[in-house]
Amino acid sequence: MASLNLGENIEIDTELIKKAYSLAVKAHSKSSEKAYNVEESRRSSDPVIFSFSGCWSENGWYDGEPFGVTEINLPLLFPSLRSIGVNENALVNKAFLQRFVDKILGNSDFDREVQKAVKKNKQILFIGHSSGGSIANLATIWFLEKYIKPEYNYKISPSSPLCVTFGCPLTGNHIFSHALRRENWSRYFIHFVMRYDIVPRILLAPISSIKLEFQKVLQFLNAKSVNLAHASIDNFDASNFYMKVMKNASSVASHAACNLMGNTNLLLETVSNFIPLSPYKPFGTYVFCTGNGKLVILRNPDAVLQLLFFSSQLCREEECTDIAQRSLQQHFGYDNELQDCFQMLNEVHLEPLEQLPLSSDTTSSDIATINSALNDLGLSTRARLCLCAAGELEKRKIGNKESIDLKKPDIEKAMKYLEEDYQLNCRHRDLGCYDAFKLQETSKDFDANVKRLELAGIWDEIIEMLKRYELPDAFEGLRDWVLLGTRYRRLVEPLDIANYYRHLKNEDTGAYMIRGRPKRYRFTQRWREHAERMPAESSGESCFWAKVEELRIKISSQGFEPIKEEVLLLEAHVQNWINLGELSGDVLLEKSTFKKWWEDLPREHKLTSCIKDLKVRKAVTEKKQILFTGHSIGGSIANLATIWFLEKYLRSDSPDNYKISPSSPLCVTFGCPLTGNHIFSHALRRENWARYFIHFVMRYDIIPRILLAPVSSILLEFQRVLQFLNENP
Amino acid sequence: MDTSPTFSIGPELAKFVVSSGVLNQSFATVRDLHGEIINQNEHRVRHKVSQQSNCTIIAFSSWPGCGKDYILERDLVSSSTPEEKTESFPLFNFLSTKTNPDFSINKAALEHFASIRDRLPNLKSQIDNSKVLIITGNSLGGSVAILFTLWLLETIDFSITKRPLCITFGSPLVVNNGLQNAILKYPTWSSCFLHVVSDQDPFPRVLIAPHNPPATESASQTNVYKPFGTFLLYSKSGCSCFEDSQTILELLMATYSEGPENQNPNQVLELYEKIVEYLSRKVICMDATRLLQWTTPQRADIINIQLAVIGLMGPPQSLQLQGQNNGLDNLITKIEKQETELAESRRQGFDPSKKLNEVKINMANLEWYKKYSKERGMGYYDSFKSGSTQPDITVVGFKKILTQYWVDMVDEAEKKPQKEGASFRTRWLGAGTNYRRMIEPLDIAEYYKGGGQDYIKSRRPEHYKKLEQWLKEKPLSVPNKLKKQNVASNLTEDSCFWAHVEEARISCQLLSSRESSDTEKELKKLRKFENYVYDLMKYYAVSPEIFLPQSSFMQWWKDYEKIMGTSYSSNLSNLMKDYDKYATGSLEIP
Repeated sequence: MASLNLGENIEIDTELIKKAYSLAVKAHSKSSEKAYNVEESRRSSDPVIFSFSGCWSENGWYDGEPFGVTEINLPLLFPSLRSIGVNENALVNKAFLQRFVDKILGNSDFDREVQKAVKKNKQILFIGHSSGGSIANLATIWFLEKYIKPEYNYKISPSSPLCVTFGCPLTGNHIFSHALRRENWSRYFIHFVMRYDIVPRILLAPISSIKLEFQKVLQFLNAKSVNLAHASIDNFDASNFYMKVMKNASSVASHAACNLMGNTNLLLETVSNFIPLSPYKPFGTYVFCTGNGKLVILRNPDAVLQLLFFSSQLCREEECTDIAQRSLQQHFGYDNELQDCFQMLNEVHLEPLEQLPLSSDTTSSDIATINSALNDLGLSTRARLCLCAAGELEKRKIGNKESIDLKKPDIEKAMKYLEEDYQLNCRHRDLGCYDAFKLQETSKDFDANVKRLELAGIWDEIIEMLKRYELPDAFEGLRDWVLLGTRYRRLVEPLDIANYYRHLKNEDTGAYMIRGRPKRYRFTQRWREHAERMPAESSGESCFWAKVEELRIKISSQGFEPIKEEVLLLEAHVQNWINLGELSGDVLLEKSTFKKWWEDLPREHKLTSCIKDLKVRKAVTEKKQILFTGHSIGGSIANLATIWFLEKYLRSDSPDNYKISPSSPLCVTFGCPLTGNHIFSHALRRENWARYFIHFVMRYDIIPRILLAPVSSILLEFQRVLQFLNENP
Repeated sequence: MDTSPTFSIGPELAKFVVSSGVLNQSFATVRDLHGEIINQNEHRVRHKVSQQSNCTIIAFSSWPGCGKDYILERDLVSSSTPEEKTESFPLFNFLSTKTNPDFSINKAALEHFASIRDRLPNLKSQIDNSKVLIITGNSLGGSVAILFTLWLLETIDFSITKRPLCITFGSPLVVNNGLQNAILKYPTWSSCFLHVVSDQDPFPRVLIAPHNPPATESASQTNVYKPFGTFLLYSKSGCSCFEDSQTILELLMATYSEGPENQNPNQVLELYEKIVEYLSRKVICMDATRLLQWTTPQRADIINIQLAVIGLMGPPQSLQLQGQNNGLDNLITKIEKQETELAESRRQGFDPSKKLNEVKINMANLEWYKKYSKERGMGYYDSFKSGSTQPDITVVGFKKILTQYWVDMVDEAEKKPQKEGASFRTRWLGAGTNYRRMIEPLDIAEYYKGGGQDYIKSRRPEHYKKLEQWLKEKPLSVPNKLKKQNVASNLTEDSCFWAHVEEARISCQLLSSRESSDTEKELKKLRKFENYVYDLMKYYAVSPEIFLPQSSFMQWWKDYEKIMGTSYSSNLSNLMKDYDKYATGSLEIP
């Protein structure tokens, strides 16, 4: 069984690809009844294949001028399709998205059939030819967004799910491509493109420029999809269509090439104002068929875009009519071509791009294969330079990432100072960091300020790079950076807020949250929210102090009643954040701005407030010895409370650095019933926690023994015993 | 850090320009203009406005009969020439800057532009702000287009419209290096100019060709004419864009292939028609760059590509043989150097945000210094003025860095065209204001310590004035409770406060030593100062540090009280009875 090696350990059986193509083309003919088909054989090892049909009407491609794109604003279906830090949604072809949402998701059978395959843990393929390929793309992303969640228990592997398309038009913009690479999903997409197939290039042209011919081209393609042999198109229309699409492709490719090469001439921008430039950008692995049995494989989206243009250029002006016809015929020529290719299995990986041979008559043997493949695609030296530039850009991005990785120790060091020395120093002054920093009384506060600014310098640089997409796409999904960003934000943002309100910047600039919050915190907050699949704006614990300050200002001018709701909301948040350990307990210190403000709230409000009891927390913060105690069942509860405490505050990442000692915490019980089984006991001894529990038991006290009897054996008497105990406290 | 090969953008940019279709669109309008029937008593410069679906095109052409003679005149008109002789020069006065007070424009071009002066308002009214604008022209018409565009850049608010694009076909160079520098200062301005030049067209070269004798004595030095904007150079083998002005000058000469037929302006027009048409057909065809065998491309090789594209070099085989061709080798080396330098300077361009956090660390140091001085009981103004302790000396270094940074910042903001300057200013104004309030007192201290007088009028540095101007002060409002409570950590809002104090102290000295000839004048000044302080206190706009025991302000108050006598009572004297309440925000100010 032959298989095609796509690089990065991905291989697909060539028979499967051929089968996929025939199913993809077959899907067109049934398009009137059903927008997709599912193929499932009995054999459990065989994949389940979902194939999607194309669409042959103009507004099935361009829904709106000039390129028919729309912003994806479907946080439930496609939460990942955006740029996280800059908070920008991806753009996608509107008609394709609409078709997927209405015809595929709107059909309840589809999800049911997918779920069935998921339950059986089958390999799943989404495939499509022409615009059906775009629907397959969207279906695959939808699948990944949904079934990657652990509760579905589906094993995502390099071979499942897979999306295989043939002559598929572009689907989304650069953010779309960026997001898929960030999630490391782009490897699930394999696009086959014939050298001259015009369809993958069409969306590089605005509809206005091809309106005249597009209708006829679609008619032709539609006829072809029904009956391969009997369709033709006028030479004149074909040539015009080809030339117009290619001219626009040339604009897009040369504009992109200038940027890849680090353009500094602003004329580029001035001229860009005069023409609509297609926003579409490729993603996934592209397999270009050279037309003589070779397959050229590459996955750098910038390079693919260049290749889409260069490979279908004319070699000589005279061949225009011929190539134009071929550009349409080849859209249905994948089966023969792939047949030839798979016989030879002559695949060429264009990697590393920056080292491509630049001249077509290079003779050096190891690159001769690449060279001849590039010749077969008709790439001149300039075209190759454009591919190199794409490779260089990627290399530069990786270099940028390495250089900021080198700054991690600096970040850690500055943060360590703030986390340990500074926090300890503040505690000695009975102050939380926020209040100490706001007062700026000692030289430690000054040192902390310098550390804050040093950190800001490093993080701002990272944010600038992200804004300009100068870091690898994967960056905002990297776990270590997300965690570091979250720690940084919780630790240092309060200092920024202190600084802001200390200098009364709210007076001339406005509230911190609206006008003053630096991007380094906005970005890192979004990283966490994305990584942990939290709703947008829900991880605002680091802005706690800004909320307090704004409420203080509001209360001092409006009084309590009008903003009662906001106070309640903040209190609920505080309770939650403190319990989760996301907010340091020092906010509850007696001298803290928050505590003082809260104490000034109306008494009747405080009595019912949800945070009036955050006592444990306060004790922890003040580093007091803590005792949990109870009599009878109360003792069991004390046991559980102690274990909860140990689990929580023994964690090394707890923000409070509570020092566990042999005398704290302690659990002291009197006549306490048994609480857990042998594993319970075993676990406590393993953790060396058993020593925190002291149980006093009277020689004849029956209560500690009760649970040794099954309830059935004491049913009659137990009720009365309990009554007795209750009446004689 | 960046050692990767630099690519040449020229050919790709040229390809983008061609495939965008702007050349075809603008040339079509030029051609239409030329096709119109000319009657005898027509203006020597004609124009045509063409409204298209995506843009407006304004084309200029000069009367063909007089074209060539005019171009051959090398005369420049200087901006310092008396106005009556050069009626249109005031239109360009905005281009003179502090560093470039003087510049010159080609006489022929200026006279042609002057001839359409009456039509300018009408032309401007036809510009539709919702559409982008192309200004174009061939030969001398192109020169008029250039001047018209410059005029527009100043008069139109491009914060609401997109930048225009000026495309010339074979225009001669029109400006000297003075004007070139003025335009190059604004990268966005020079980005509006695209000059298409054919290798066979003599007109763009005529003013820089060394073999043409100067027409008058005043223009005797060669190459006074300088290019700006981007040049798209064309030859049979292709086209490429160039931006470095020295490179452009050299290539203009090196690429010229003279032909007998191209001396006539009409034929030159046909030449460009063919070029535009040919390029636009070729843009979807494979190019013929096959060059040396490289493993890793060197910068020079990439320059080679550019030169091959514009026909300066043959196929590679012949190149390897022409090692003896030193002229070409030198040119390659030169261009390589110039292009690299240009790219470098662009890349390192002024990026204030990079240094901002560094600068803030210096500000933190100053804040610390301020606190240190407060504990000494004199405030940082007087501490710095006395200069007696180590921190007073250390702080000079921080101050120097900060001042340098903000002088550059303000300078940069001033240089930018209106719109960008404005957004730049709002972004940095907060930090700038903070800087001004913190540092300017130190400048004042230095000045008065050295015995200076009248700081505000005679000595105040320019960048403080600008920073203060940009901050469109809101009228002072009655301070709220929080502002009062916080007053201790605030800086005095008027950064010239201490200059006023020093002036008041000088007045006191004059009065007490009875040196002053005009007692009434000094008293008036002092009363004015008193009211000024009262107002600042009322709005809590002054830092309580002025009341520290050793502060100059308190010295003044003592002197003043002595002069005015103990029975003196005023708004301020009432407040001064318990000024210590001010720091906590509990002073009642009527």
